[in-house]
Amino acid sequence: MAYIRKRTLLNRIFEAPAIGKMAPGTALFVYACLLFWTLVVAFPLYWILITSLKTAQDVNGGPFFIPWVDFTPSLHAWKELFVFDYEDTLRSYTNSIVIALLSTLLCISVGSMAAYALARITYKPKFGNILLFVIAMIAGMYTTWKFGVDWKLTIAAAVAVWFLLVRSIGRFFKKSVGNGDILFWMISQRILPPIVTVVPIYMMFQNLKLLDTHIALILTYTVVNLPIVVWLMYDFMNSIPIELEESAQLDGASRLRTFWEIVLPLAKPGLAATTLLVLILAWNEYILAVFLSTSNAQTIPILVSAMNAGERGILWWSMCVVIIIMIIPVVFMAILLQRFISKGVLLGAVKG
Amino acid sequence: MQSSATEDAKRLSLRNLNKSFGSVHVVKDLSIEIEPGEFLVLLGPSGCGKTTALRMVAGLETVDSGSIELGGEDITNALPKYRDIAMVFQSYALYPHKTVAENMGFPLKVAGVARADVDAAVRETAAQVHMIEYLDRFPRELSGGQRQRVALGRAMIRRPYAFLMDEPLSNLDAKLRGHMRAELKHMQHDLGTTTIYVTHDQIEAMTLAHRVAIMNEGVLQQLGTPREVYDQPATLFVAGFMGSPPMNFVHGSIDNQRFTSTNVNLPVSANGSSVKSVLGFRPEDSEVGVAGSGLFDATVFASEQTGEYTLVTVVLGDDTMTIKMPRDFDAAIHSSVSVSFPTDKGFLFDKVSGNRESIHLVGG
Ligand SMILES: Nc1ncnc2c1ncn2[C@@H]1O[C@H](COP(=O)(O)OP(=O)(O)O)[C@@H](O)[C@H]1O
Ligand SMILES: [Mg+2]
Repeated sequence: MAYIRKRTLLNRIFEAPAIGKMAPGTALFVYACLLFWTLVVAFPLYWILITSLKTAQDVNGGPFFIPWVDFTPSLHAWKELFVFDYEDTLRSYTNSIVIALLSTLLCISVGSMAAYALARITYKPKFGNILLFVIAMIAGMYTTWKFGVDWKLTIAAAVAVWFLLVRSIGRFFKKSVGNGDILFWMISQRILPPIVTVVPIYMMFQNLKLLDTHIALILTYTVVNLPIVVWLMYDFMNSIPIELEESAQLDGASRLRTFWEIVLPLAKPGLAATTLLVLILAWNEYILAVFLSTSNAQTIPILVSAMNAGERGILWWSMCVVIIIMIIPVVFMAILLQRFISKGVLLGAVKG
Repeated sequence: MQSSATEDAKRLSLRNLNKSFGSVHVVKDLSIEIEPGEFLVLLGPSGCGKTTALRMVAGLETVDSGSIELGGEDITNALPKYRDIAMVFQSYALYPHKTVAENMGFPLKVAGVARADVDAAVRETAAQVHMIEYLDRFPRELSGGQRQRVALGRAMIRRPYAFLMDEPLSNLDAKLRGHMRAELKHMQHDLGTTTIYVTHDQIEAMTLAHRVAIMNEGVLQQLGTPREVYDQPATLFVAGFMGSPPMNFVHGSIDNQRFTSTNVNLPVSANGSSVKSVLGFRPEDSEVGVAGSGLFDATVFASEQTGEYTLVTVVLGDDTMTIKMPRDFDAAIHSSVSVSFPTDKGFLFDKVSGNRESIHLVGG
């Protein structure tokens, strides 16, 4: 008994009573911090909710904090958006849903396949061959610009010339790039913010007469988010022990079956997390949407900012309504996908 | 399911297999003929190319040169799934998202076997590997030994022509390892399935194998029954690798039909292929005695009692030797003792090539 030192009151408050327990003082402090932060985070959401129920006078005469006490809640903003402007709201909403879902779907399927390939196959493209390709393309562009040759023709010719060059002199090139270089090249596409390319993208879709269409936004978002998917999924794919796939192959499974029955289920947590991230990125995207859509393909973030445009000043109440309906699906998706974002799927695979 | 009984004529042949990773030549000209139903153990130190050789047989690694034949059919370049070979990985490689039953049933399910038949086969195999109560568990809920059994069951279930096992017991604790070793031997005997078993543990090799193939640095050193490789080691490497404790070596030279070293001068039947020579003898074939009464004298370095026997370590020049003595024996450290062994239990090796000489000690 004498071996256990007597604890002072201070000890008792700030020392853990046992291994794995929290000291009462520490607990108090930690929970106070957490509570404070929760308020900091939750308050804007609360503010948006009550603002959507305020009239113009309540907003401008405020600040009012508590409905029915400080001010009388009114559904006028909700009514305006869902009854009078019903078509506009609904169109933006469906646009956002269609664009976010389809671009995410495209992005995840292409990106995770690319990630899987990079994790499992060793690529060694010759540096010289890549250079040749670039040169062939530049030469093609030059002829189109200088001599007015049909661009489809030049592309075909450039690819053919490149192919012949690769077959003939390609084997003399020594230096080759590896998977790491390919991966870095992909993520390097995100080093500059996507917005710097918005002018060429705008002109491209203008030429293709696709401005203000779903397809323009879907393709743009897919391309912009693809590096993120490849980068994240590469890590997840790499963490799946290759022995599981080898074992499946010995068990008689085809490549495709191995992918579907072994790899995909094990990559599920990664897929879910990445999907959620990409979905939110696409859902919230504003700047590209401003350029590429005007009315037909207008998304919800555009509608939010549109509340700031009228001669009536900023329509805080309407803006808050749109923000609320914008948040709801994201929360819903997060809850849906959270089930899959669990750790430990690989437990029991290879550890003894 | 195929039955292996009707395919007894089949034989697995590895012919001059070579494999390099970059500039490293990992497997060099490996040739082994494996008889139907044989338990062949591929034994060698870590990094000697055992796993690579096994993976070539499985089809998981390409072959640089040489061929693999199964029953006269060339399978060198066949995809793994066409080889009728099952493998137990060192890490077991169980599918973590599948239950024990699903893991075991996977090979049959992939083969398109009807659900009911798969279930029946799973139950039968699970009974054989004593996992019948655990069919609904996931791998993460099993102990190491149980995972081992599931991996074994998954390999057994489709009755393949051959099992490949890559150090299947190395992740188990010592006690379980001994237990599983006996079970493996029993199971392989009853199933009669040709097995290639990779290990770096010479005890496993001795106890399990019909024949042992000992590899070092990618080269096959000796292929023979455990008795043969133990009693008639072909090279210095094999002699030093087999046995626990391993064979003792005295480094010396042979001149004028005499083997000489520090304190050692023994007659031999003829001169060797080179002058530099190594005399080997096993700890259990030798004994220590009063100084001057044996083949040569040495100094006691330590005497260790294991309970079952006593290990006496003696020093002679630069060589250290271990001698196995009865349990009640003891020797004082630093004392001088004699070492003796029957002359027909001494082996002479060419120090330069590492091969065993055909000469032997004479007299007694
Ligand atoms: N995929 C690989 N790439 C490069 N080197 C490898 C590869 N696999 C094995 N090696 C090398 O080959 C040698 C033999 O390896 P391995 O066959 O695993 O030996 P063992 O199973 O006998 O321990 C080792 O030196 C190892 O580093
Ligand atoms: Mg190995």
